[in-house]
Amino acid sequence: MSAHATTAHNEELNYLNWKTGLWSWLSSTDHKRICFLYLFTILIFFFAGGAAALLMRLELASAGPTIPGIVKDPHTYNVLFTLHGVFMIFLFVVPGIPATLGNFLIPLMIGAKDVAFPRLNLFSYYLYVIGATIGAISLLHPVDTGWTFYAPYSTTTGTSVSLMVFAAFVLGFSSILTGLNFIVTIHQLRAPGMTWMRLPVFIWASYATAIIQTVATPVVGMTLLLIIAERVFGAGIFDPAKGGDPVLMEHLFWFYSHPVVYIMVLPAFGVVGEIIPVFSRKPLFGYKMVVLSSMAIAAVGFIVWAHHMFVAGISDFSAIFFSLVTFLVAIPTAIKVFNWVSTMYKGSISFSTPMLYAMAFVFLFMIAGTTGIYLAMLGVDVYYHDTYFVVAHFHYTIQGGAVIGLIAALHYWFPKMSGKMYSETASKFAFALVFIGFNLTFIPQFVLGMEGMPRRYYDYPSQYQNLHTISTVGAFMNGFGYTFALANLLWTALFGKVKAPRNPYNSVGLEWQTASPPIHENFPETPVVDKDPYHYGTPAHV
Amino acid sequence: MLGLLGEQGSDFAHKVDYAHDIVTIISVVCTVAIVGTMLYFAVIYRQRDGRDHETPMIEGNNLLEVIWTVFPTLVVIWVAYLGYDAFIDMRTAPADSMEVNVTGQKWAWDFQYANGKKTTGELVVPVDQPVKLVMTSRDVLHSFFVPVMRTKMDVIPGRYTYEWFRPIKTGDFQVFCTEYCGDLHSGMRARLKVLPKAEFERWLADDSEERKLASMKPSDRGQEIYGKQCIACHSLDGSPRTGPSWLKLFGKEGQLVGGGTYKADENYIRESILYPQSKTVAGYEAAANAMPSYKGQLSDDDITSLIAFIKTIDGTQKVAPSQPAAPKALDAAQLAAMSPADRGKALFNDPGNMCYTCHSIDGSRLVGPSMKGLWERKSKMSDGTEIVSDANYIKESILKPQAKIVEGYGPVMPAIYEGKLKDENISDIIEYIKTLK
Repeated sequence: MSAHATTAHNEELNYLNWKTGLWSWLSSTDHKRICFLYLFTILIFFFAGGAAALLMRLELASAGPTIPGIVKDPHTYNVLFTLHGVFMIFLFVVPGIPATLGNFLIPLMIGAKDVAFPRLNLFSYYLYVIGATIGAISLLHPVDTGWTFYAPYSTTTGTSVSLMVFAAFVLGFSSILTGLNFIVTIHQLRAPGMTWMRLPVFIWASYATAIIQTVATPVVGMTLLLIIAERVFGAGIFDPAKGGDPVLMEHLFWFYSHPVVYIMVLPAFGVVGEIIPVFSRKPLFGYKMVVLSSMAIAAVGFIVWAHHMFVAGISDFSAIFFSLVTFLVAIPTAIKVFNWVSTMYKGSISFSTPMLYAMAFVFLFMIAGTTGIYLAMLGVDVYYHDTYFVVAHFHYTIQGGAVIGLIAALHYWFPKMSGKMYSETASKFAFALVFIGFNLTFIPQFVLGMEGMPRRYYDYPSQYQNLHTISTVGAFMNGFGYTFALANLLWTALFGKVKAPRNPYNSVGLEWQTASPPIHENFPETPVVDKDPYHYGTPAHV
Repeated sequence: MLGLLGEQGSDFAHKVDYAHDIVTIISVVCTVAIVGTMLYFAVIYRQRDGRDHETPMIEGNNLLEVIWTVFPTLVVIWVAYLGYDAFIDMRTAPADSMEVNVTGQKWAWDFQYANGKKTTGELVVPVDQPVKLVMTSRDVLHSFFVPVMRTKMDVIPGRYTYEWFRPIKTGDFQVFCTEYCGDLHSGMRARLKVLPKAEFERWLADDSEERKLASMKPSDRGQEIYGKQCIACHSLDGSPRTGPSWLKLFGKEGQLVGGGTYKADENYIRESILYPQSKTVAGYEAAANAMPSYKGQLSDDDITSLIAFIKTIDGTQKVAPSQPAAPKALDAAQLAAMSPADRGKALFNDPGNMCYTCHSIDGSRLVGPSMKGLWERKSKMSDGTEIVSDANYIKESILKPQAKIVEGYGPVMPAIYEGKLKDENISDIIEYIKTLK
């Protein structure tokens, strides 16, 4: 590649400074700038949702009313867990990795100048902003349904459900359009020589994610409209008094909301698949199987939704069917973990912050995956359904998976995105807080679940007191850790002095072959790819 | 084996726990093996002196891929079977099951037996007898979870669902609502009482309560309910208590908090009983928050009876209808001649104090905890602490009733005794309580 020669005379000009002023950011169609627009917006909701979680944990620190000054009654608590769920799922984790790092990395990794439809990309962002604004307006009379919006509670409660549901509907369109954009980009804009089997696993994961976004999101869009129809026009689709069926609502909801778990976590799988080879100096073990397992998870993810409904009044036969197919998800997931660990075999392993997060991810995801087995088992799930065991399980999946994946990725690609190097000491300290705080929060919740503690409870019998207290301490540690980690990155991006080299980790990834930060259209010349994605190591040693 | 899920109360609980144990062992072994391998690699293949050593370009191994595809497949087939096995048992109610109808509504559980007997908040069943719960909901989704029986099923408006269990031991167990149903979801609990068979039969056949209620005039029945449930906070003679007096309440008009007016007709009274916070009479803001919802606790018949009673309240009523006629207030000379415990008893039964309306002396549950055996009893408070009922505690509870609330009771005792009862009165009452063993 001849990147050096062409960038030499305008060394200083990059995507961050080639145009200046707020408007140049707000109107930019550069995928890298749109990444930052998303990043700042979703982080607002990450901290808002996190604050709601900490208030909940504070209220639960002891049995009975704990902070009556803030959480003045059970209703306030119910609002808090609804906001926590809605903010974290719809406004933070779903757009999380795809809209930020997907935007930043997909064109860079495949050697393209931008995504296929740059203006549509910006439009997706503004749809997100509109959805988020509608959601924020609904806070005037905040929703108390839980993020699941189950009918007939959601169709009868007095809170502003219609507005919040409409917000989620608009956000869904943002997600669909982003997914479409990425699918076309990956199909059409790969650089010469970037064959399908040379795509980095992050691209494969993003591709699988985009398919789910495009196919599943319209279903939740329709469901949300039906809720509005029910509330505004009394349509009677879910209302048993009019011959409707509340269980239908659950089916429609989970038909989207189970695949959405893979929208959240598949990109994180991709991130881990990028980080481990670089810091082990080894090719990704079993590349084809890792790719295949991503696609398998995306496909199987569509036919397992009713495992959320084993005790919802579905037929026993359906329950048996959905239990069996749910177990199918365990197999490709296990394959991924085996391949990540095997990649480290005979490597030359260094422990930068991204690698620590990636290894933590493997540990946390083992717990997420194995506890998922309990919930796929019919007889055991009947006991665990809607207890704290489920709460702990999906936080290991979503936070231990998707959020840790996002934080790992933000550290790993930070030099490329900002052109600066962050302090390893500060970021490792934050990592320790996050890792210990997270486990301290949720391991006690597994035990609470074993003892039968139901979720979404404002108050609880005092037998559960001690574990709740420990969990609260962990939650604050966890929250402080995230704040510290992100503050460290923000501070470095704004005021850091250490300039990042083009390729600080000596990676073979295409995104590292251009300048840090990249120029506006990524590469001075269209790169030509002639090697497999992770050609680390010496062939003679095989 | 591992006993992670606690006490087993039903005959299929051991199958659930067995499946749970097996998957726990598999999970722990797999996690330790995989994370252990990762850490082992991390240590022995770590970069040394900050420089990379040469690494082999290993791209994969087909045999390993086959092994770690087939092995997890076999394991999950096995555990899927274990889960299925336990599930089939808990979904197959024996033909000789005793059926109990269960109705969920915000935020209480109603139970009805084949002979017509009804209970609220307490499911009583005989040991060793399969019990099938046929369940539906009056409003939104609920879920009936009995941890000790290892079973749970959603309760859905407009259709019936069921769950069953065969209790293998007697005792009192917790029942939770596990499908979010609104404000008091976490308060929607019930007790499962498993009795020896003979005792259950006696309990089931005992319909004295129902017969008595059914044969009463509605206004008398309302008076009866008033004496048990409402008297602590609502007077009949216009005197102020925590809540508004019921004297000439029916048809009355007045101001509501936040503007607006009310007219105390049938619908207003019904709404106030079921949703105490929805319309609050001006001046009673705190009281409305203290009043619990009686939804699910009082039936429609109960409420109709109460309204009939309220219509009769014209100032001629006597208090405490359901209690034995209260002794007359005693004069100072008589009191001085008594022993402290007797003086305490007189104060306890004094209509001006009305302790007896909420606190029984025979161990039965009224609005507040019974005084029987109270002295030096250990009680759990709603904040989880344990407190021994000594003199300081009792004194504090009389003067500042909201300071500590016994778990399971509402913060409804009015703070009206400060200044009314002197220190020596309180120590007399304590002496009296000491005699109630």
